[in-house]
Amino acid sequence: MDLMLFAPEITMVATGLAVLLIGLFLPVDSKKVLGYLASLGIIAALYLTIVSLGTNTLAFYDTLSVDALSQFFKIVFLVVALLFSIASIKYTEGSAHVEEFYVLAIFATIGMMLVASANDLMVLFVAFELASISTYALAGFEKKNPQSLEAAMKYFLIGSLSGALMLFGITFLYGVTGTTSIPGIADSGAAIAASPIGIIAVVLLIAGMGFKIALAPFHMWAPDTYQGAPSLVSALLAAGSKKMGIVAAFKVFIVALIALQVQWQIAFAVLAVITMTLGNVAALSQTSVKRMLAYSSLAQAGYITMAFVVLTPMALGGGILYALSHGFMKAGAFIATAAVVYMVLSENKDTKDPDHIDNFKGLGQRMPVTALSMTIFVFALAGIPLTAGYMSKFVLFSSTIQAGFAWLAVIAIINSAISLFYYAKIVKYMYFLPTEGTKVSEPLPYTIALVVAVIGVLAIGFWPEPFIYWAMEAGKVLLAGGI
Amino acid sequence: MLLSLIVLIPLIFAVLTLLTKTREQARAMALVATVSVLLLTIYTYFNFDSTTAATQFEEFYSWVPSLGISYHLGIDGISLPLILLNAIVMPLLILFTWNDDRKAPNRFYSLILITQGAVLGVFCALDFFLFYVFWELTLIPLFFMVSIWGGPKKHYASIKFFIYTHVASLVMLLGIFGLYFAAWETTGTPSLSIPHLLAQFQFIESGITRDLIFLALLFGFIVKLPVFPFHSWLPDAYTEAPTAGSVLFVLLKIGGYGIFKIMLPLLPFTASPNLMITIMGALGAVSILYGAFLALAQKDLKRMVAYSSLSHMGYVTLGAAGLVSLSVSGAMFQQFSHGLIMSIMFMSCGVINKATGTRIINELGGLAQRMPKLAVIMVLTFMASLGLPGLTGFIAEFSVLAGSFVNLQGYVVIALMAIVITAAYHLWALQRAMFGVYKEKLGNVVDINGYQTLAMGVIAILILYFGLNPSPVLDMMLTNSEHIIGLMAGMGV
Repeated sequence: MDLMLFAPEITMVATGLAVLLIGLFLPVDSKKVLGYLASLGIIAALYLTIVSLGTNTLAFYDTLSVDALSQFFKIVFLVVALLFSIASIKYTEGSAHVEEFYVLAIFATIGMMLVASANDLMVLFVAFELASISTYALAGFEKKNPQSLEAAMKYFLIGSLSGALMLFGITFLYGVTGTTSIPGIADSGAAIAASPIGIIAVVLLIAGMGFKIALAPFHMWAPDTYQGAPSLVSALLAAGSKKMGIVAAFKVFIVALIALQVQWQIAFAVLAVITMTLGNVAALSQTSVKRMLAYSSLAQAGYITMAFVVLTPMALGGGILYALSHGFMKAGAFIATAAVVYMVLSENKDTKDPDHIDNFKGLGQRMPVTALSMTIFVFALAGIPLTAGYMSKFVLFSSTIQAGFAWLAVIAIINSAISLFYYAKIVKYMYFLPTEGTKVSEPLPYTIALVVAVIGVLAIGFWPEPFIYWAMEAGKVLLAGGI
Repeated sequence: MLLSLIVLIPLIFAVLTLLTKTREQARAMALVATVSVLLLTIYTYFNFDSTTAATQFEEFYSWVPSLGISYHLGIDGISLPLILLNAIVMPLLILFTWNDDRKAPNRFYSLILITQGAVLGVFCALDFFLFYVFWELTLIPLFFMVSIWGGPKKHYASIKFFIYTHVASLVMLLGIFGLYFAAWETTGTPSLSIPHLLAQFQFIESGITRDLIFLALLFGFIVKLPVFPFHSWLPDAYTEAPTAGSVLFVLLKIGGYGIFKIMLPLLPFTASPNLMITIMGALGAVSILYGAFLALAQKDLKRMVAYSSLSHMGYVTLGAAGLVSLSVSGAMFQQFSHGLIMSIMFMSCGVINKATGTRIINELGGLAQRMPKLAVIMVLTFMASLGLPGLTGFIAEFSVLAGSFVNLQGYVVIALMAIVITAAYHLWALQRAMFGVYKEKLGNVVDINGYQTLAMGVIAILILYFGLNPSPVLDMMLTNSEHIIGLMAGMGV
C-alpha cells in the first residue's frame, strides 16, 4: 500500500497540526501568518489531489478508495476550504482564537475528504462525524453573538440526531448482510431486497443524509444555521459540508443499495421536486441575504438530487459537476456577503441585521469588485449561460430529458425560471437602487477569495470540457459499483 | 473572424461603456462601437454572394466535444438582411439619443450595446448552444431597459415581458433538447450544430416526437415575434419602454428569423405538415386583423404603434406559411421593412411625448405647424406602414398576400379585410395628431433637433430607397426562399 495515495490528507493533517502548534506561540497581532500557512497547506493538498486524478486503487484493508469520484469530490472540498481560508484571514484578524478557527476548518475538510474516499460504512460514518463536529464548533465561533450560538445549537442537535439515524441505518444493513464494506453490501443485494429491514434502513439513511444535504422536509435547520453562523462558516457548510452529504449518499445508495434502486429512486424523485420548489419559493420573500442564499442552496441540492433519479452516467456526471460548480458559486456568494457584513459592521458595530438586503443598496459603487463578483455568482446560480451554473444545469437537465424524465426536467427548468427573480433582486439592489453610503476600500483577502471563485465559475462556464470529462469519470465509478 | 468581430465588438464595448463616467464618453463609446459594426457589416455585404443559399463566412471551432458543442458562426441570405438592418439602425439610434438627458447614461448605452451583440449573435450562430446563449442574452438588457428607464407602469411591463418570453425560451429549450437527443440516438454522436440537427430531423422515427419538437420550437419563436394569442406582453413592453428601448424591441427580429431559419426547413418533415401550416397561417391572419382592430381603438399614440406592430408581424407568419417563394421572401422583407418603419414610428412617439408631454392622440393636434421636419418624416413613414406603393411596406405586404393566395386563400381574405382598417387608423391618427388646428395648451413646442433629424431622416430615405429598389436585400431573400421551397417540393408539400 502506498501512503502517497493519501498525500493530500496527510498534508492537510500536517497543516492543521502546524497551525495549532505555531498558533500557541504567536502573539495575537501576528496570528495572521496562520491564515497564510493554512492556505498554503490547502493549495499543496489541492495540487496533490489534482495530480492524482486517474488513480484507481483501494487502500487500508479496502476501507478507503482512491478513484475519480473520491478525487473529484476532494477537489470540491479543497476548493471550498481554500476560498474559506483566504477570506478568513481578514475575518479572524485581531481574534485570539485564530488557530482554533483554522484547525476546525481544516479538520472538517479532512473529514469531508475521507467521506469521499470511504469504501466502508464505518469509515464513512467516522469521517462524517469528524466533519460534523468540527463544523458545530465553527458555527458557534462568535460566542458573544446569540444568533451564532443559536445557529450552532440548532445545527448540533439536528446534526446529532441525523448522525444517530444514519448509524441506525448502518446497523440494520450490517445486521442483514454481516458486513460494513460498501461493495460487500452491494454483493448481498438480494438479501437486502428480500428483507423488510432493507426498506427501514433506506428510510433511516435517507433521513440521516437528508439532514446533511438539507433536503426538504429535513431542511428546517439549514436557513437558521446559515443565517446565524458567521458568513464564512455558512460558506463552508453550504458549499462543502452539503456536498459531503451528497457524496456519502452517492456511495451508500448508488453503490451499496443498488438492489433497492426502485424504492429509493421514487423517494429521491419526490424529495428533489419538493426541495427545489420549496427552496425557490421560500427564497423569493427573504430579506436576509444569507437566508435567501440558504434557501437557494436548498433548491440547488434539489437539482443535484435529480441525479439519483435519472441514474445515467451523464446525469451523475452532471450532478457531480454541479457539486463542483455549486462549491464555487455558493462559497463565492457567501464570501461576498461576508465582505458586505464585514463592511457594515466596521462602519457601525451594533447593526442588527448586517446581511439585510438593504445593506446591498448601491454596492456597485461602494464595493465594485464585491458587487461584480456577487452578480456573477448569483447569475451562475440562476443558470445564466457561460457560467458554471449553466453548464452544470445543461448537462444535468438534458440528461434528465434523455433518460425520459421530461416531467422532472420541466419542473426543474420552471424552478430555474423562478429562481432568477430573487437572484435578480440582489443585482437590482446592488446596481440600481440609490446608495446611502460612500465608497469603501474592499478588504483584500475577501477580494482575493472572490476573484478565485469568479475564475472558477467562469472557467467551468467557458471551458467545461475537462471538468465534464472528470465528472463523467467520477459518475462511471459509481455506476460500476465502486472499484 | 469577420462575424466574430461583428458579434463581439458590441459586447466588448458594452463593458468599456459601463466604465465611462460621463454622458459624453458613454455616447461616444457607443457610437464608435455601432459604427464599427456598421462598417464591418457593409464590408461583409459587398463580399456576400447573393446567388447562393449556402452558408457563407463560416467560422468553426470545437468547444465542448463531449457534448457536441462548437463555436460555429455563419450567415446566409436569411440572416444578412437582418444583420444589415440592425447595423444600420443602431448608430442612428445612438445619434437619436445624443442630446437626451437621463440617469446613468453609461449603463443605458451599455445595455443598448449588449442587446446589439446578443441579437447579432443569434443571427450568426450555427450552433444551438450558442444560439440559445445569445437568445437568452437579449432578454436581460431589455428587461433592465424597461424596468429602469421605462414609463409609469415599467415594473409591471418588464416583469410581464420577462416571464412571457423566458417561459417561451424554456419551452424552446425543451424542443432543442428533444432534437438534440433524438438525433444523438440516430447518429450515435452528440451534436448541437444547427445545420446538422435540421438535416437529422427527418430521421427521427416517431411522428409525435417530431411534431412535439416542432411545436415547442415554434412556440418559442412566435411568442418572441409575437403572434396572437401570445402577444399581450408586447403592447405593455413596447409602450412602457423608453424610446430607445422600443426601437431595440423593434430590431429584435429573432423570432421571425427562427421561423425562417429553423421552422421552415423542418416543416415538410413533421408528421402533419398541413396542420402546422394551418396553425401558422391562421395565427398570422388573425394577428393581422386583430392587431389592426386593436390599434384602431387605442387612444395612446405609442400603444397604437405597438398594436400596429403586432398586425405587421402577422404578415411574417402568414407569408412563411404561404410556402411559395414570393410569400416567404415577402415575409422576410416584411421583417426588414418593419424594422425600419417601426424605428421611426417609435422615435416619433418619443419626440412627441417629450415635446408636448402627452401621447394621447386627442390631446394633440396641429403639430405639423410647429414640427414641420417631424411631420414630413412621419407622413412618409405612416404611408409606408399602411402599405403605400413605392415604399417598403407595400412590397412586403403585397408579396405576402399575393404569394399566400396560392395556398391559403381563406386566410388571405381575412388579412385583406385588415388593409382598410390599417389605412384608417394610420390616417386617422396622423390627421388628429399632426394636422388641423394647433392646440395652444400644448405650449411652445419645438421641432426635432439636428441629430434626431439626421437619424430619422436617414431611415426615412432608406424606406424610400428600398421601396423603389428592393433588390439589394430582396435578391438574397429570394434565393433562400427558393431553396427552402425546393426542399418542400421534394417532399410534396
